[in-house]
Amino acid sequence: MKLANQYNKVNLFVSLIVLLLTGVIYYVVIHFILTEKLDRDLRIEEDEISAYVNTYHKLPLPGDFQDQKVAYRPVKKDDTSGRVFSNCVYLNEKENEEEPGRSLLTYIKVNKQMFEVTVVKSRLEAEGLVKLIFLITLGITAFLLLILFLINRFLLNSLWRPFYNTLDQMKAFNLADKNEINAEFSKIDEFTELNQAVSAMSQRVKQDYKELKSFTDNASHEMMTPLAVINSKLDTLLQTAGFSDQQGELIEDIYLAVGRLSRLSHSLLLLAKIENNLIKNEELIDLKELLNQKARQFQELLQSNEISISLNLEAKAVSMSKYLADILLNNLISNAIRHNLKSGHIDILLSADQLMVSNTGVAAALDETRTFERFNKTASSEGMGLGLAISRQICNLYSFKLSYQYENEKHSFIISF
Amino acid sequence: MKLLLVEDEQSLRESILAYFSAEGNICEVACDYHAAMEKINLYSYDCILLDLSLPGGEGMEILRALKKMNKNDGVLIISARHSLDDKVDGLNLGADDYLVKPFHLSELQARVTAIVRRKSFDGNNTIVFNEISIDTQAMKVNVNANLLNLTKKEFDLLVYFIANQRKVVTKNAIAEHLWGDEIDLSDDFDFIYTHIKNLRKKLIEAGCTDYIKSMYGVGYKFESI
Repeated sequence: MKLANQYNKVNLFVSLIVLLLTGVIYYVVIHFILTEKLDRDLRIEEDEISAYVNTYHKLPLPGDFQDQKVAYRPVKKDDTSGRVFSNCVYLNEKENEEEPGRSLLTYIKVNKQMFEVTVVKSRLEAEGLVKLIFLITLGITAFLLLILFLINRFLLNSLWRPFYNTLDQMKAFNLADKNEINAEFSKIDEFTELNQAVSAMSQRVKQDYKELKSFTDNASHEMMTPLAVINSKLDTLLQTAGFSDQQGELIEDIYLAVGRLSRLSHSLLLLAKIENNLIKNEELIDLKELLNQKARQFQELLQSNEISISLNLEAKAVSMSKYLADILLNNLISNAIRHNLKSGHIDILLSADQLMVSNTGVAAALDETRTFERFNKTASSEGMGLGLAISRQICNLYSFKLSYQYENEKHSFIISF
Repeated sequence: MKLLLVEDEQSLRESILAYFSAEGNICEVACDYHAAMEKINLYSYDCILLDLSLPGGEGMEILRALKKMNKNDGVLIISARHSLDDKVDGLNLGADDYLVKPFHLSELQARVTAIVRRKSFDGNNTIVFNEISIDTQAMKVNVNANLLNLTKKEFDLLVYFIANQRKVVTKNAIAEHLWGDEIDLSDDFDFIYTHIKNLRKKLIEAGCTDYIKSMYGVGYKFESI
């Protein structure tokens, strides 16, 4: 649920409760005030009656005028129980209707005779007023809720726009790209702070990334230079005369170890580069032509291992770096040669949607999940266990899918485009 | 040949110097950016072996300076950076070749020889070694006026041997030269033996002296006795 919606929900609910409560309190208070006023009017009427009695020593005529009725009833002296205000029913004779009324019951002594005096006033006007006030309150409540809802809906949306803008840019953020996060200017402190934090973070990340890249470069340089020294010293050593074959063998072993070490660090650097998407220069590669070329290139190796190869190629072009395409095909084909049997066979199938390289080999399927892991290799393998990791990384880069299957005693690596 | 070696690593400098000087080449050295700039301002060289990361400045700047001076020196970049961008930049700036460390000295020698041959003998693409004469342009080899029928690999091998004459050239250096980077296949280089055997046979059949000698099981040496 969006923040705005959540906030809206709570806000509207609380507003509704508060407004209803206010309405109720308002109603009660107004009601109380109006009743007080009626009671005061009734008391004035009572005073007028007693003033009349004092002056003329008789009761005024029981009257019925202006929504007010006065009635008398003689009572015994002991029955006087005091003044009482109460709500009652007022009979409007003009309109022949029962209206809500307010009555005052009081007693008055005229010439030694006690009279009970009842003064009744219609409450209709007051009730009407209260009703009107209640309706107005209700109307305002509804109007206010509507306004609140609209404000939340439209104002909040525009208030949050800088946030969504920043969010979109963060989603699109790519380390390899040069463009920075350009946050939209916002008057809201929180968003300004967020934008500052985001651009500071992106800059820091870029800086770290740059350092990592230069570390990669430096590591490569630092590793390659001593290797180059060892290699050149061996080359120089070999020019000094008089080695036995046994010494020659030792020297060859050193050469091979140095060669492996330098290939290893080249491979690791290559993996890092592919992962960091540092290899650009995409172009359209004619895979059919490239595969034919590879078959020629590996011809001597195939012959020396007595491996036969059959190519079944349809025209297919993909957009990728030539450099990586070379590495990918070299890895797949050299794996197929390296893990093949003596007098084995390699099939290369290229169609519009996939490239399959299958080879004969040990009669057991490889563990597909581990096959593509780094440094995963069989004990007998001469490689470093990086070839397939690199191949998969290259495929991931171009959103190809590299998979393995074992069928009919053939190991197949399949790239689905 | 007159060469300038710009390289900050002393041990590597010494090895390269020893390898090239033995053939009677004049090889000068510069161990940092400023020394290199001074040298290229004063002299001309057949080929400059240029390391890219140098104390005091970038090797690329030296390339730019050379281009500005309109010099025709051959340039071979030797760099530890196996980066496509560097390679492309270097070649665009007028370098003739790019060799990634670590390399075999025989490979370096072959590449330098090729650069110098292209630069200094305009129109003359002939390599002569005793009775062998090679036309690098037409890719033809004659032994005493007998035309040899060599495959591309055998031809490359012969040129490589002659560039590294009187030197022991290892089997893996040969494999890397002929097949390039791809051949990180196996540590078994026996398959190049076939090529050497064939080349040897064709040379001898054409009446050539057998110049190729196997050395300590590690490699071969091409030398007239």
